[in-house]
Formats: sequence, C-alpha cells, structure tokens
Amino acid sequence: MIVCVAVVGHQNNPLYLQSFTEADDALKLHHVVHCSLDVIDERVNNPKRNAPALNETFLGLLYPTENYKVYGYLTNTKVKFIMVTTDLDVKDADARNFFRKFHAAYVDAVSNPFHVPGTKIASRSFGARVSTIVKSFGSGTTA
Amino acid sequence: MVREVAESCVDGVVMEMVAAYCGRFYAAKPELAARRIEAIGFQVGHQLTERYTMERPRFSDHLEAIKFICKDFWSELFKKQIDNLKTNHRGTFVLQDNRFRWLTRVSIDPSVESMDATDNDSATLGDSAAQTTSMLLYFPCGIIRGALTNLGISCSVTADMSNLPACSFVVRIKT
Repeated sequence: MIVCVAVVGHQNNPLYLQSFTEADDALKLHHVVHCSLDVIDERVNNPKRNAPALNETFLGLLYPTENYKVYGYLTNTKVKFIMVTTDLDVKDADARNFFRKFHAAYVDAVSNPFHVPGTKIASRSFGARVSTIVKSFGSGTTA
Repeated sequence: MVREVAESCVDGVVMEMVAAYCGRFYAAKPELAARRIEAIGFQVGHQLTERYTMERPRFSDHLEAIKFICKDFWSELFKKQIDNLKTNHRGTFVLQDNRFRWLTRVSIDPSVESMDATDNDSATLGDSAAQTTSMLLYFPCGIIRGALTNLGISCSVTADMSNLPACSFVVRIKT
C-alpha cells in the first residue's frame, strides 16, 4: 500500500504532498519524503557505475527504512516524484508503471493555463486522479 | 493519444494575438507588447516541454537539450525538424528553419507590391511590414526560451528573418 506521494519542484520546493493513511503519522511521512531529497541529490550528482541507467527518469529504490520503502523519479524538468510504500516486496516494474501514470497526471495538471509554474498544485481533479492511481497500485500488486 | 489542431486556426490565433497586443493593448509601446507576447510564448514552451520530455531519459548536457528542441520538439510543433543547427561551442546556437510555418503566409517582399508609390513611401511601408513580421517571431522565441528554461538552461533567444520565409533563432546560453 502506498502511504505517501509527493511532487517536489526543481528548487526542492514542495508542489504536492499527500499521505494516504488513517493514522496520524503525516508528519513522519513528510519527514521521510524530505530525507529522500538528499538521497536523490546524491544519486544524480554521483552516479554509480551502472552506466546504462545513468539518465533514466526512474531512480528506483532510494532507501528502505524499517517500515517503509521509498521510491524516486526525476523528470527532465528537474521535478522529483517520491512515493512511500509499506509493501516490502515491490516489483520495479510496478513502481515504474505507477510513476508513469503519476507523471502523466502531473503533466496534465501543470498544462492547465491557469496554473502558475513553481507553485503548489491545488487542482482537485489532480488530487482525485492521484488517489485513483494510488489505489490501483495496491490492487495491482495483490491481483 | 495524438491531438491535432488545424493549422489555419493556429495561424489565426497567432496573428490575432500579435495584432491585439501591438494594435490595441500596447499600441504606443511596441517593446512592452513584444515582452508580453514573448512571455506568453514562454509559458507555452514551459508547459509543452513538460509533456514532450515525459518518456525520455534526462539530458546530460546543453547540446542534447538543444538537439531535442531541434528534432522532437520542433516536429511536435511544426511537423518538421530544424533544418540547420550551428554552434560556436561557447554557448551560442543558431537554429535555422528554411521554411518556418508561421511565416509562410507573410508576403516575402512588401516593397515590390508598392512599386507605384514614391520611394519614400515604399521604404516606410517595407519598414512597418518588417516590424510586423518581427513581432510575429517573439512568440516562437518565447516558446524556445520557455522550453530551455524548463530543462534547466537559462538563455536568451532572438530571431533573425533576413531572408523570408527562412528564419533563424539565435540561442545564447547564460553562464
């Protein structure tokens, strides 16, 4: 189950941050998201020797914590997507698929001519779409 | 899903936008009108790159981003690629389009049509025609600048239209 997703702008400014838990742990999840920004910076600036995946948008597993796994994705326009999940055996393909849908939703949201670039995404339809994607991710892995 | 827009509609919108800004909103201040039109282009380019770079790996250097503009971005917008790309390898790129779509409806040499008029008249007419045409180019300049800025390259873009309907865009990357 995905517990938190975030979109972070190129200056590490939060554009969208949403947690999907009933419990009151939003702050903790946001903390996890913030920590992952450093990991992304490190990944991008000191790429490891796995050369073929050098400039891929999907960054893979950023770091595992005791309860969560954090996945990252960095677009060409330096916008970061972060996903926190409680599933301990997530397939890479599923995560990739999730980010692809998430990215498409983001693109549609920022293509709105009334959206001011670099500001938080307030669109309600974007929120609804993200929730749907998040829910389908959970069902996709169990099915 | 591919969505297409009738070319004549785009032509109409671009010309009407330029006419509105130059003739009505900022008739007395052509520079301000140019800046406003450029800003509209900037937003368009900014949002379009977001979409067009969706399924591709990140660019590792400036040249790759410029190549993306020349090939994929231009094909999406104009169904053709940039015809010629020159660079001095110091941050200046010249993108030449031999038949820029938004200028194909612009008359090539206005002074020929006004042969009957006195020399003085045709010169001023030619001048104002050139000025109107250059106004049309602020929008695509803004698009290129918006696209590159969103890819993390801050630059300035100017257009040169000395031999219509070919035109070239000069991109200067700020270091």
